[in-house]
Amino acid sequence: MNCELAHERIVAAAYGELPDEQMHELERHMAGCPDCNTEREQLLALKVLAGALPVEEPGANLVARARLRLDEALDALPPRRWYERLGQRITNNFASLQAAPVAACLLLVAGAGAGSLGGYEIAQNRTAHAAAAAQTSRVQPQPAQVTETGTPAPAEIANISSIVRQPNSQMVEVRYNQVVPQRLQGSLDDPAIRQLLMVASQNSASAGVRDDSVGLLAAECRAGRGCQAAGIRDALMVALRYDKNAGVREKALEGLEPYVAEDVRVRNAVLEALLNDGDPRIRTAAINILEPVEADTSVRQVLHTVANSDQNPHIRTVSREVLSRVPEIQ
Amino acid sequence: MNGQKSAQERMQARAPEMELIREAQSGSRAAFDALVRQYEHQVLRLALHLTGSEHDAEDIYQEAFLKAYRYIGNFRFECSFYTWIYRIVTNLCLDQLRRRKTRREDHAVIVDRSGDEIDLLASVSDDRSFSNPAKELDRKLLGEKIQTALDKLTPRERMVFELKHYQGLRLRTIGEMLNTTEETAKNTLFRATKKLRAQLAELR
Repeated sequence: MNCELAHERIVAAAYGELPDEQMHELERHMAGCPDCNTEREQLLALKVLAGALPVEEPGANLVARARLRLDEALDALPPRRWYERLGQRITNNFASLQAAPVAACLLLVAGAGAGSLGGYEIAQNRTAHAAAAAQTSRVQPQPAQVTETGTPAPAEIANISSIVRQPNSQMVEVRYNQVVPQRLQGSLDDPAIRQLLMVASQNSASAGVRDDSVGLLAAECRAGRGCQAAGIRDALMVALRYDKNAGVREKALEGLEPYVAEDVRVRNAVLEALLNDGDPRIRTAAINILEPVEADTSVRQVLHTVANSDQNPHIRTVSREVLSRVPEIQ
Repeated sequence: MNGQKSAQERMQARAPEMELIREAQSGSRAAFDALVRQYEHQVLRLALHLTGSEHDAEDIYQEAFLKAYRYIGNFRFECSFYTWIYRIVTNLCLDQLRRRKTRREDHAVIVDRSGDEIDLLASVSDDRSFSNPAKELDRKLLGEKIQTALDKLTPRERMVFELKHYQGLRLRTIGEMLNTTEETAKNTLFRATKKLRAQLAELR
């Protein structure tokens, strides 16, 4: 064995990766080679030195922060559709399908059968629905429209051009564009008006329209009028997270305030704003809103982070004050 | 016989995890969360030690598990889930190390046939020795010197040294994680130790 090979084997041996027979050979070489003995000493010294940079366990705060961020990101991902999962499974099992051509043929026949049956069912359903709809239109008169136009489907709306609330009333006028401009007038609790306001809060190119719509939706939420988790509340959370205009985000935050204690999704959105929002006003408002739930572990962790690392000294101070009022959880 | 038995035991020990993976592949978020909980400490520990930054470690954690979630359907049980997730993490860490690496004008780097970077100057032998290291040096200062020496390795050498020396993984596993052979991993480890010794020779 030459010294070059011995040096490589010394490294392998030092890390427990040298097979026994090679170890024996190496020991024989080392017995008569002072250079290789020095090499081994140097390597062992390096191992000792490298120990001066110990591997540390990640802190609880880091783990909690990372989890929170990951949960948010996973929540935001759209769920995979059944056919995507099926496609992936078929791709995974492609090798076995190749090995079983009979199974593949059977699958094809079953697919064709299911397709024909499905087509037949759909055709029957359509006929039945058409008959039922015809009957309904004959029997029931259309409800009286409060509005100048009917309720538009969201897909028909090009954009929202303006929102005006009549003074001292529940009436709101929303102007929106379809192929031709339209106008809809109705009460704030009218589902059609609400639907338009929600569209306006997210899709409008105009910050003014978003501001008006989010302001009205937030006021409804603060008044406790029909602020369902899956409707207006979601729209406000989207505005808080993604709207480019700080005024709109601030209004959304105000609207979510009553739900921060009862709805964990709202709490997470507010925590996210506290950690990430670029506007110090919003971060400060988020701290105040979180006060009722300040003893919550995740809230405390975020407050700790903000108290230590927020670039704004006022926010750091406010966070510390809030934390100092909460007794430590043992 | 013993080998067969231990393989069987290993399979039995891995059965609950395999079940979790299958559930996650069928779209169960709870199963995926359970897998995250199982590996998150190891992922953060590796990323934190490699990058030396909590912020970077957090980004790597986030990106690694999002990738795992997106591609878990492609996992075919050909290796352990541990190896699979580490492969994702090590790739992200390598990208991070490469981004961070400043231009080294005083080093001549070539790429060998296996795709590994070799630093020609650092492979010249160094005859200085240090048999009694760091007796009087403050541990923190020493840690910084080690960090500086580690930063001078190529990203791949840094990764192999990290996985072997600090995380204690087998060279065979390291080879699997880095999509290379055990032999290449061994050669990379050898080069890494040689360079580190040259860098740290002054501390004798």
